[in-house]
Amino acid sequence: MVDLSQYLPILIFLGIALALSSLFVFLPMGVSRLTGTHNPDAEKLSEYECGFPAFEDPRSQFDVRFYLVAILFIIFDLEAAFLFPWAVSLDMTGWPGWITMMVFLGELAIGLAYAWKKGALEWE
Amino acid sequence: MIQVLAFYLFATLAILSAVLVIMSRNPVHSVLWLILAFFNAAGLMVLAGAEFIAMLLVIVYVGAVAVLFLFVVMMLDIDFAELRAGFVRNFPLGMLIALVLLAELVFGIGAWRAGSIDLAPAGATEAAPMAASNIAAIGQVLYGKYLFLFESAGIILLVAMVGAIVLTHRDRKDTRPQNISKQNRRRPQDATVNMRPEIGEGVQL
Repeated sequence: MVDLSQYLPILIFLGIALALSSLFVFLPMGVSRLTGTHNPDAEKLSEYECGFPAFEDPRSQFDVRFYLVAILFIIFDLEAAFLFPWAVSLDMTGWPGWITMMVFLGELAIGLAYAWKKGALEWE
Repeated sequence: MIQVLAFYLFATLAILSAVLVIMSRNPVHSVLWLILAFFNAAGLMVLAGAEFIAMLLVIVYVGAVAVLFLFVVMMLDIDFAELRAGFVRNFPLGMLIALVLLAELVFGIGAWRAGSIDLAPAGATEAAPMAASNIAAIGQVLYGKYLFLFESAGIILLVAMVGAIVLTHRDRKDTRPQNISKQNRRRPQDATVNMRPEIGEGVQL
């Protein structure tokens, strides 16, 4: 059974992070409302000196090459995820387990070679 | 006590963010709520004792799949007003899908009540030793008993990779890839010319 007490520091860390981040967001809002400095108008809310009005809609379509990179990332991410239990249990699975993983890595190496040869990894 | 608190924290946040996934108007916000839901599911998995699954949720779902969803959402040229207009028209289809999912849930619970499936001959299965850690137990069955399924997973990944490349890769004329062998073959005399121009004349290259 898993010893959950090992995760207690992470939980405490999560709680502190949650508390601090909500403090940083909501404390200035509350203080500005209480002290009366919260007084927005159209001029204050405009991009008057920290930039300029956007020329076009920021949600434009972008290149499909980003998508290809993300797909390749997922596949090799999964490969790495498969490697962890293999490395831990190698003394129990022995040679069959080792050979299986080498075949698996070989399959993905073929994929990598194909991607490389097709030029899918090239950017410019 | 702390476990109960943590469970209710993660479960509440998971349900809340799942509701916000379908309620938020901006699809990008939906994906961000989905990432929060994945994180909370990972916390629930840790509480259930499935450490490796929890880490996989964070690595694969949050790290990769959610990023992919973001890409898809941002790549589609979505008109939000048009998106909301089809609500009434698509309502029956949505209800149908919800009913199918509900039926699957009912079937799943029924199957769980009926007991586990016994695929292997009796006595052939050996339970993973409880002393071994979670990840070692998974590795022991994945690379021992389920070798073939693991290798098919590898083939599926290969097919997915080739398919993604075939679908999205175009031969682009404007790219300037590095050609290392061509770089190394280049000698100084190919690249430089020694000229001795006359006085008052330019250099003809």
